This record gives sequence, structure tokens and C-alpha cells, in this order.
Amino acid sequence: MPERTLERICYVEDDEDIQRIVRMSLERVGKMKVEVVSDPNLAIAAIARFKPDLVMLDWMMPGMDGPTLFRKMKQQPETATLPVVFITAKATQRDMEELVALGAAGTISKPFSPKDLPDQLRAIWAKLP
Amino acid sequence: MSNLANGIEGVHGAAAAASADVRDRTDAALVRADRVEQLYSQLPLGLAATVAIGVIAAIELHEGRPIELVVLWAGLLGLAVVLHGLLYFGYRNDAHRTQHTAQWLRWLGIGAFAAGAVWGFAAAVFFPSHADERQVFLAFLLAGVISGGIPMYAASWPVFAAYAAAIALPFTYVLATLGNRLFAEIALLIPLFYGVSVAIAYRLNGVLISGYRLRHAHQRQLVELERARRQIEASGRDVTAQLEAEQMKKEFTSTLSHELRTPLTSIIGSLQLINAGVLGDVPKDVMELTEVAERNSQRLLDIINDILDIEKIESGKLTLNPEVFRLDDLVREAVALNKGFGERFKVRFEAKGALTKHEVRADHKRLLQVMTNLLSNAAKFSPEGEVVEITAEEHGPWLRVAVHDRGPGIPEAFRARIFGRFNQADSTTSRQKGGAGLGLAICKRLIEMMRGRIGFQDREGGGTTFWFELPTHA
Repeated sequence: MPERTLERICYVEDDEDIQRIVRMSLERVGKMKVEVVSDPNLAIAAIARFKPDLVMLDWMMPGMDGPTLFRKMKQQPETATLPVVFITAKATQRDMEELVALGAAGTISKPFSPKDLPDQLRAIWAKLP
Repeated sequence: MSNLANGIEGVHGAAAAASADVRDRTDAALVRADRVEQLYSQLPLGLAATVAIGVIAAIELHEGRPIELVVLWAGLLGLAVVLHGLLYFGYRNDAHRTQHTAQWLRWLGIGAFAAGAVWGFAAAVFFPSHADERQVFLAFLLAGVISGGIPMYAASWPVFAAYAAAIALPFTYVLATLGNRLFAEIALLIPLFYGVSVAIAYRLNGVLISGYRLRHAHQRQLVELERARRQIEASGRDVTAQLEAEQMKKEFTSTLSHELRTPLTSIIGSLQLINAGVLGDVPKDVMELTEVAERNSQRLLDIINDILDIEKIESGKLTLNPEVFRLDDLVREAVALNKGFGERFKVRFEAKGALTKHEVRADHKRLLQVMTNLLSNAAKFSPEGEVVEITAEEHGPWLRVAVHDRGPGIPEAFRARIFGRFNQADSTTSRQKGGAGLGLAICKRLIEMMRGRIGFQDREGGGTTFWFELPTHA
């Protein structure tokens, strides 16, 4: 379990409505600081700038999907060690297991409950080494 | 080919067995028509040969014989040829000759006997007291017309037998009565030759008949083969089209369901944030409506999830994660999880009696889904204030979990299809109680995937008991 509490989240998601809900959930319910990135191509730079505790990635995005971005993050020294959580509506059980095997910290399936989302993230955070 | 034909027989089954007898008879009629046709088609050739032989014989035989006798014989032969010609044209002009085969065969038999008799007449009248070389000529000629009759009448051995007998009998009689020892010996040999010729004709006849029979059987098989080919093609097309339609439907369902989930995430999420008071106090009236909206969005999501589940199960994409756990723990977890749902319908869930402490090996999450389905059904259909009882006990080698409600019971007409897809007892039910009618279909498939079984029965004192059984984990 990390020593510090989970405070800073960077969320890469192209759907503006879901961005808004996640931001509201994490900021108001979870009292966290949130940086949302709409364009996955700009994500790595934004993450490096924001220095989050944890990164949330949408699975399906135009331009670059979540798993590809995840692999790119692994190649960058600034982002390689950050815990990553996937949010997805379409991934199968096996896809999820594969990502966890690749080093993803966890997965959350859509639709998620914004009431419970901060707790879900904290539970994943608590399990991290 | 015979295997295929057998297969076709198999397809047609009993009807084929019953019609086989009729078909054999049909075949026999067809074969006879073929034989008669062959006999008549050879007639012109036979008549031409008869005329040619007759002319030569008349020229050769008239020497040393009264011209009137030769003219009479030639006249009889001519008459026989003319009558045969008439017979031939009569046959050719009979539009229904294939149906009158017996009649045309009979007339041909009479004609053949008559023609034979004309030759027999020649033997009787011209053979005795002729010069030696003319006797040889006549004997050669008679032997020729007899043996020529074999291929001519091969299609019907009795016709040949009549024809040859009409020639051989007078000839034998004449030879036997001439008082010459050599001729008497020849007279003894002629019946032997006759017998051999008839035997050959008989064998030829048999070969021809089986040939014709084979031809008809072959034609019939070709027709049946063609029919079977068309059937297979047609059913193949049907199956392919059906499979394509199924595949399209499944892809459509899957894509649509996922596309629906994304906007639903926003809707439910927004409503939840409002209803949870995250944005501060909301006027009571507004809150009432946003709660209605959240509840119904959740309902919509449940339906979409059910559709996705059944699609996944039916396309074989659903994989289970079996683990070993105690069944009583699962029951208690399910009751706790669905407490809120029960409260909405003013129904209480209560475990009754001692729950079995045995373990099962099953997919925990999916079994919880089954339990949730059974509990929510029980809650929906129970009268307000009722208690839904849950039992879990040993049932032979099985562990049986049962959910007992005090609902109206399952209508008789609905019992057979209760575990089918999109089935609800009454279409108004779905509007009142929610759900797409997929819940029990999913339960049945999930339980069966876990090697269990599911069922229901009337409950004593009113209501229904839904149960499922899983093998006890040893």
C-alpha cells in the first residue's frame, strides 16, 4: 500500500459527458484533483506535466485506443511507473486479464457508479505495492 | 450411388417402403413396353429379310414342283409379310401402345407363329423327293430362318418358341416319315436344336429384361438423385441464409448494446450524482423525478445487460470462472445484495431453516446473478408485506437452493416456455414489473453451464417455488 493517499488523477477520455461526470465524481465525492485529457495523442505530455498518482484510461478512443496508449506510457520514463486503471464498456474478461498481466493496476467497467467510483479507485490504490 | 439412394429411401421412410411394391409393378409394365417396342422396331428388317429369302427360295424351289404350289406358298408368305406390315403400322399408329403391350405382344406372337407356319409349309411340301442339293438348300434355309428368329424375337422367348415350333414341327414330321435312316436321325436332332435355340432365346430374353430393368432403375435413381440434390441445395441455401441472418442479428445486438451502454453511463451517472446529493439540496419534486429517471435508466441497463448476456451465452463467448465456495455464504450474500430491491416491493427475503454448509464448484459472480434473478422475480410477484423464503439443502448428490414466493403462481399456458427467451406470462407484466423476459432464460443456461439444473413447482398454500441444483463439491 502506497504511503500517501490517492489525490491526483489524470483521466484520458474522448467523451465529454463522461469526462464531466467523472470529474464531478472524483472532485466532489472523492475530493481528488483531476486532470482530464481528451486527445490520447497529447496524453503523455499532459501526464508528465500534471504528475498524477494514478492514470485512468478509456478503452475505446478515436486516434489511439487505451491499450496502445498504455504501451506507449510504459516506454516513457516519466510515465512508465504510474499505476493505470482502464475504464471500458466493451472489453471481455480475457482482455481485462491480459491488461492486468501487462501491468495495469485494475479495470472498471462501464457503466460505473459515480457515487462509488472514488472508493473503487481507492480500493485499487490500496492494493498497489 | 446405392448408398445415396439408400439415404434417399431413408428420408422418405415408410412411404417409400409402401410404394416400392407399386414401383416394381410399374417397372414391370415399363420393361414390357420396352420389349414390345424392340420386337416391333426389328420387324421391318425381319420382313425385308423374309422377302429376300422368300424370293430366292421361290426361284430355287419351283423347279421340279408344280408352279401352283410354289405360287400358293409364295402367296402365303406374301400375305404373311403384308399382314405383318399392317401389324407394324397398326402398332406405330397406336398412341397408347405402351398401355396396350399385352395386346400387341399377342398379335406379334400370332404373326410369328403364322410366319413360322409358312416356312414349315415349305419344309413339308418342298423337302421330300427333291434333288439332294435342293434338300441341302432347304435344310440350310430352314436352319437359317430359325436361327435368324433368335435375335428377332429375343425380347420375347415364347414368341420365338411359337415361331420356331411352327417351322420345326412340320419339318421334323416330314424327315421322320420319309423312311430314310439318315433323315430319321436328323428328325431326332431337330427337337434338340429347337430346345437349344429356345434355351438361348430364353437366356437372351432374360438378359434383355434385366437390361431394361436396369435402365429404368437408373433413370429413376437419376430423377431421385436430382430431386435429392435440389433438396440439399435448397436446404443448404436455407441454412446458409439462416446462419448469415443469425450472425448479423448477433453482431447487431452486440454492437447496439455496447453503443447503448455508453450514453447510459452518462445518464445514470448524472442522475446518481444529483440523487446522491453531491450537488447539494435539490427541490423535492425535482428529486422525485430524477429518482424515477435513475430507476428506469437502471432498468434499461439491466435489459441491455441481459441481452448481452444471452447473446454471449448463445454464441459460446461466455466463459465461467469456477471456484469452490460454501452455498450458504452465497445465499446470505444474495439476500443482503437484494435487500433494497425487496424493500421497493415491500417484500422481505428470509433464509429458512439451516442452510447447507456444503460447497459447490461454480462461477460465484454468475451464480449470484442467478440468485438475484430468482429473488427479484419473487419480489416482483409477491403481494406487499409478504416474506420470500430461501432454503438451501442437500438433495441426494445435489445441493438445492429454492426461492419460495406467495405470488399468483405460473399460468398453465406459460409453464412450458417459462425458461424461453423474451417470455413473460403476460405482456403487461413487463410494463408493470420491468425486465425483458430474459432473466429465467439466462438463469437456465448459466445453471446448465455449471452442470446443474433448474425448475419450479407450485407451492403448498399458494405461490411458486423456483429452485436450482448444483452437484455437491466433493
